[in-house]
Parts: sequence; structure tokens; C-alpha cells
Amino acid sequence: MQSVPYAAQIGTSKWRRLLVASLFLLPAFVFLIVFVYLPTILAFLLAFFNYSPGGTTTWAGTSNFAQAVSDPVFQLSLGNSLYYAAMIVPLTLLFSVAIALLIAKTSRIYSFLRTLILMPYVTPTIGTAIGWLWMYNPSYGFMNALLSFFHLPVSQWLASPSMAMPAIVIYSLWHGIGFDVIIVLTAITGLPQGVLEAADLDGARFFRKLFTIIIPLISPTLFFITVVTTIGSFQSFSQMFALSTGSGGPEYATTTTLFLIYQTAFKYGNFSYAAAMAIFLVLGIFALTMLLRWIGNRVVFYQ
Amino acid sequence: MRYLRSLQIVRVFVALIIGIAFLIPIYITLTTSLDKAQNVFTFPPHLLLDFNFANWARTWHEYDWLLYYLNTIVIAIATIIIALGTTILAAYALSFMRFPGQNFVFALVLVVLMIPSETFLIPNFVLMAQVHLVNTRIAQILPYGASAFGIFLLRQFFLTIPRDYREAASIDGCGHWRFLWSVAVPLARPILMTIAIYIFIGTWNSLLWPLMVTATPNVQPIEVALATYLTSNSSDWQGLSAAGMFATIPVVLLYLFFQKRIVAGISRGEGIRF
Repeated sequence: MQSVPYAAQIGTSKWRRLLVASLFLLPAFVFLIVFVYLPTILAFLLAFFNYSPGGTTTWAGTSNFAQAVSDPVFQLSLGNSLYYAAMIVPLTLLFSVAIALLIAKTSRIYSFLRTLILMPYVTPTIGTAIGWLWMYNPSYGFMNALLSFFHLPVSQWLASPSMAMPAIVIYSLWHGIGFDVIIVLTAITGLPQGVLEAADLDGARFFRKLFTIIIPLISPTLFFITVVTTIGSFQSFSQMFALSTGSGGPEYATTTTLFLIYQTAFKYGNFSYAAAMAIFLVLGIFALTMLLRWIGNRVVFYQ
Repeated sequence: MRYLRSLQIVRVFVALIIGIAFLIPIYITLTTSLDKAQNVFTFPPHLLLDFNFANWARTWHEYDWLLYYLNTIVIAIATIIIALGTTILAAYALSFMRFPGQNFVFALVLVVLMIPSETFLIPNFVLMAQVHLVNTRIAQILPYGASAFGIFLLRQFFLTIPRDYREAASIDGCGHWRFLWSVAVPLARPILMTIAIYIFIGTWNSLLWPLMVTATPNVQPIEVALATYLTSNSSDWQGLSAAGMFATIPVVLLYLFFQKRIVAGISRGEGIRF
């Protein structure tokens, strides 16, 4: 940013410039104030009251928070959200790097593959989850056909409490990984070619090159993906809704915290309790992001 | 050499398998919706493409899909117009103007990026309930009227426009307003186009907020209609697959058409969901 004023601005007073700038900023800030800043404050207020639409609102103190802490379903939902994140984040890193390395080559075939891999990312979740629901069907689905073709034991997939969440993770990887692959591809294409050629001349094997040159050099990108995927995983809703046909089951296995918040507010009409749970979730995401940053500052290699 | 050659063949082979794996779920939805009825409940699944459009016709008449398309498009276009307008003005002020408190204002924009959307989901619903906007299209547009991320991106782009342009223009007596619309915005057209595409896709695919804030078909977008269809017809696989195709095909076409921009958008950072 430069601090030298433009010719047009010399002579115009500071206050006049502030006025003009305010007029330009006003439209955006009207929306941000009404739909972001105020609601953020309101979220805390809501949690300390018992609000019912159209009814009376009474002071609740910390009772909503206390209820959440001792609610077994809330605890279970936090566990489910963490379980989902713990699977999706490492798998996203692993597969995005693997696929990006595989297709990081200029040729017709590979750019066609890039098209295919990114395509699910733009598709509507319910629209494509329908196909997956059918693929996961225990009796007629493609997944079990595939497993039995390779003589592997078949699974109940979404009907099984232990397999439902992993099945959702597979869907989410299919749906979202194209985004991460493109980001890793961009990072790999931007690598200094000289270093890689020097390594080739020294006769470095592929895996040596991967772990001592490529991964350290793209570690800022990998860190970015880790943070974005972690935060995003706690905001996942559509895939849980679609693949459990709106139930969060079987046996609460796919009830993540965001799903529970949705249900609490819109199925049971308990907005204040939902707001209290949302605050816990948001604080948790914040703490996790801070932790990741702390780790990132120690691990990530910045050139 | 022969070793390297066969390694390349293995590479192409593995890549193709991965490509097929990414295509199969959409392909299966398509074949299921177009299968003859006797081929649906078979194991192993019937994977050949039939062209039996009876289920498409039946599903099309079960719901008013045209209305849902229209709702989605109206919401998306209104969001694009409002969000681009507010984004352009704010980004311009934060890049081409100098005013007291500028850094503070920019920090306020950045703060928005750090608040997870769960925070304001419920308060925004309460707000909509208080002003009687629940179950309207407006309630699905207004919360996305300003995009902090869009402001951030566009400001970054505006900062790359040489300051001399503004210098020269102001010497010729060109004010901010004219400079914005006749120089800055035309230069930013590609980035604005990408932001618009992402808002469109985001609106087309959004579920949670419309699910919360709408109740009747006349204002619902396609994803919500699909959610209703899914929860009420959960074993009619051919109908479901056809409905899934109705929602998926338009965005896939859009994607194939704008693919270059969408890819470039992701590598430049615009592809993060708004």
C-alpha cells in the first residue's frame, strides 16, 4: 500500500475523503452489520435466554450451556464431528498429493482427468448423494458388487452404525477432493524446476525426491489445505443430511454437531439451546485452528 | 528406457482408473434413471446405458421442477447482482482511496472471514422471523448480499492496477465514480466473472440455510426440493435418480462450459466456497 496521495486528493480534506469512502463502503457494511456482526453478538445473547418464536423470551443464565455439557447426544455429536474430521483431513492430504503427482503432466489425457476429478466439486450434494445412496445399497449396490467381485466381505455401509460415517467420508472425498487436487497441482507446477533437475542428476529416487524436496516445498499449501479442510469438516451438513436421508442415523452415527444444531432448532424449535451448542462448536473450531497454526509455525517450511 | 516406458503406461492406467472412479457415481445415477424397470433390482448392478425416459417424464410431472429451477435462478442472479455491487464499491474504497481508519475497516472485513458460518445461522433465522421474511426468496438472498472474501480478492486485484492510471485519470478531471466504472471494473471483468460463477454454483448447491428459512415449494430452490423428494420417496430409486439428474445436469453443463475459469479461480483462491 502506498501512502502518497493522488493528485486528485491533494487539497481535498481528510474528512471529505472519509465521507466519500464511507459512501462506497456503506452498502457492503449494511449487509455485514445486519447479517454478520450483529448476529454474532446475538448468538451469545440467544444462548443466555430462552427464546421461542412468537412466545415470551426469558432469562436462562448458563442453563443452556450446562444442559449441553451434560447432554449425551451433544457429546456424541462432538465425537462424530471429530471422527469425521480425523478421517477426512489426513485422507484429503494423502489423496490430493497422490492424485496431483499422478496427473501433474501436460498431456490431453491428464487434463481430461483433471476435468473429471473436479466435476463432483461443483455438483449439488443431494443430487449426487442419491447415486451414492443407491451405490451403498447393501443388496443391489455397486459398492458391494465391487467388493464381491474382488472376493472381499460385503458391508452394510450406511445401514451400519460403524460404517455409516466412513461411507460419508468416501462420498465427501469424491465430492470435494478436486478442489484440493487443483491447489496441490498449482503448487507442484510452481516448484523451481532447477532443484528437481539437480535431484534427478544426482540420481535421487522418486520417494526421496518426494519427501526431501517436493513435500517440504509445498508444505505451505498442505498446511492451507489442512486448515481449510478442518474448518470445513465441522461445517459439513448436506452430505450427512443426504446420506442419512435426513435422519442423522443409524443410531446417531452420522449426527454431527452442526446436524444436531439444525435438528434442535428446526425440528424441536429450541433455538436457544441450539445457539448454546453452536457457541461451543465455534469455540472448538477456534481452538483447533489456533492449535493448527501453532503446529504449522513449527512444521511448515517457508522459503 | 523400456523400464521408464512401462512406468508411463502404468501411470496412465492408474490415472484412468481414478478418472473412471470419479465418473462412476454420476454415471450410475444416469443409468439407474434410464434403466428398464426389470433391470433396477439386480445384483450385480446393471451398468449399461438404456434410454428409457419414462422415469424422467414421471418424475418431472410429480414435482414442479420448472418452478424450482426458476426460484434457484432468481435467487442466484439477485445474489450475484447485489454481492458484486457491494463488493466492487467496498473493494474500490479499500484500494484506490485514502481515508482515516482505512486499516481498521479492512481488518473488520478480514474478521468476517474468521467467523464460522454456524455462528450466525440461528440468529439470522431469528432475525428473519422477527421481520416476517421467513419463507421468502428475499431471505435467501440478503444474507449473501456482501461477500467479505470477494472484497478481499477484488481489493487485491485492484491493488495490482498501476497507480499511474488513477493519477492520469484524475489529472484529466476523472472522478472516482467514473474511474471505477470505466477503468477499474472493465479491467476486473475476469475476476468478477469468476466470482459470479462461484456465487451461482454456491446458490444452486446451498441446502442448510434454504432448508431452515423456507417451508413451501413456491419459494424453495432445487436442492431443498430434492431433499424433500428424497425424504418422501426414499425407495423409488429410478425417480430419485431422475430427480438427482435434474439438479446435477445444469451445473455440470455450466462447469464444462466455464471449466477454465473455475480451475483458474481455484488456483488463485477464488474457489473457496462463499
